[in-house]
Amino acid sequence: MSDPVVRIEGVGKVYGGDRLRVEVLSGIDLEVREGEFVALMGPSGSGKTTLLNLIAAIDRPTAGRVLVAGQDTSALGEGDLAPWRHRHIGYIFQLYNLIPVLTAYENVELPLTLSRLKTADRRAKVETALGVVDLLDRQDHFPRELSGGQLQRVAIARAIVTDPTVLLADEPTGDLDAESAERVLRLIERLNTEFEKTIILVTHDPRAAEHAHRVLHLEKGKLWSDPEG
Amino acid sequence: MRKLVWRNLLRNKRRTIFTVASVTIAVLLLCVLMAVLATFEPAATAASENRLVVRHAVSLQFDLPEAYWRRLKTLDHVEAVTPLTWFGGIYKDQRPENFFPQFGADPVTLLDVFTDIQIGEDELAAWSAERRAFLAGRSLAEKYGWEIGDEIFLRGEIYPVDLNLTLRGIYTHADDESQERQLFFHRAYVEEALGNPGSVGTYWLRVDVIDNIPAVIETAEAMFENSQARVKAETEQAFALSFTEMIGNVKLLFGAIGLAVVVSVFFITANTMAMAMRERSTEMAVLKTLGFRRGRVLGLVTAESAAIGLLGGVAGVALAAVVLRSVANALAGVFPLFRVLALSPDVAAIGVGVALVLGLLSGALPGWVMARRPVVDGLRRLG
Repeated sequence: MSDPVVRIEGVGKVYGGDRLRVEVLSGIDLEVREGEFVALMGPSGSGKTTLLNLIAAIDRPTAGRVLVAGQDTSALGEGDLAPWRHRHIGYIFQLYNLIPVLTAYENVELPLTLSRLKTADRRAKVETALGVVDLLDRQDHFPRELSGGQLQRVAIARAIVTDPTVLLADEPTGDLDAESAERVLRLIERLNTEFEKTIILVTHDPRAAEHAHRVLHLEKGKLWSDPEG
Repeated sequence: MRKLVWRNLLRNKRRTIFTVASVTIAVLLLCVLMAVLATFEPAATAASENRLVVRHAVSLQFDLPEAYWRRLKTLDHVEAVTPLTWFGGIYKDQRPENFFPQFGADPVTLLDVFTDIQIGEDELAAWSAERRAFLAGRSLAEKYGWEIGDEIFLRGEIYPVDLNLTLRGIYTHADDESQERQLFFHRAYVEEALGNPGSVGTYWLRVDVIDNIPAVIETAEAMFENSQARVKAETEQAFALSFTEMIGNVKLLFGAIGLAVVVSVFFITANTMAMAMRERSTEMAVLKTLGFRRGRVLGLVTAESAAIGLLGGVAGVALAAVVLRSVANALAGVFPLFRVLALSPDVAAIGVGVALVLGLLSGALPGWVMARRPVVDGLRRLG
């Protein structure tokens, strides 16, 4: 473990205006070190996904600041945020969010189309990512031709293909059966242990959280560490 | 990215087909309207200031009696009178490119009125001497590679006679090259073939000085006031303008129709793109999460709508070419003007250009909205 890759300082998030004001997060402080695997738990509406979105810089805090890889994301304009996300963030969604008109290979290749890599280099990276999730044999399949577990593994391959600084997984097993969920969790754990990826996993499932080094709880906008974590 | 645009286009084939079809119909209509307008343009010619046209008061479709010729020559200030009858025959085939004006003329008086026609004396004499001879403008002769002595065949459409003609002279025009794209033959040749009905399409008069033109017009119209075939006399310029004035109104009407269709199709296409984008708002948010900039998202949407516009534009232009050719073939006999009805490269380019711009604009607004939409709104889910 080394320097913090993610540092959250006094972050708050309020939705709505003066009349309908919902405070989702308040005074959150958090540090996640490089290579760490952190699980973020909490009931529905507790602000887990909001916190994840703030780290991914797809949402902005109303108070405090979020630093990822030393960069205060609040200081970046919209034009700079997109390439920043491309470089530092790998995001795994609960509902996979693959592009239905693209094959598994093309979905994984999608983030690489933003880089200036040669076709052969792109192919090598995509095949490596698909190899890690053990789906090389399904690379020409469209999302509609894959099972839920396979879809999530393609989504994981898409998240890791750019070798991002942080992997953010938002309830990645929430839509899967137990067997597929366990396989996905083992895969995420392997990304941490074998490939030393820094991972923040949002879940409400204690069994999923068991794979993490550290478990944090978020409730009513406040964050605290699991005493057993 | 091209792959993504193309796959998105095919995602909802029925919707794409209908949208492309709406653009196709708009471009088809636009091209046909512009092509029809273009057929009227040659009506504006280099008219002589002291030439008058005398025609049937009701319509150009009615001929005048041959006897009027002699009486018109008696008018004060009229130096020369010559008859011209539109023949409207078919040369080779009915393709628009093989259409050109053909007039039955009087070899003796033609050049007395049309002093701007230039031809050698030998050729004029050869034309005058032979009943089946004809004169061709230089441009027309060059187009078909005609040389003196060549024979051509004109199939009658308006008149039930076919003509075998021999080229005896090639003329040039002093000011207007477009006047060299027609031919003159002996009107007597047709008259004889028709059993000498003694009819003339129009009379052309040369007046001594411009100042006398109003008086000649008044006298000419008064001369046949109580005749069975009343006449309308007007300057050559007014004669040409009578077409263009009518076209002015038609232009306005056609322009309004074309604009209405294009605007309607713009809204249809924009609505289709907006619906498509609403369905894909999560995907757009995912793309931005992956690192796609706003401009790239906007580019994806506009590329898709531009492709719809381009497909519709190309299909519309192709369809317009077919429709115009069919209309030209079907109506040329009734309205000789439509023989030249064809899709010009300019009109085709405008058609495709309008479709492309229409596509780009209809995708720009939903694309802009989608590009600026916060990512979290697209992802919809808050934990």
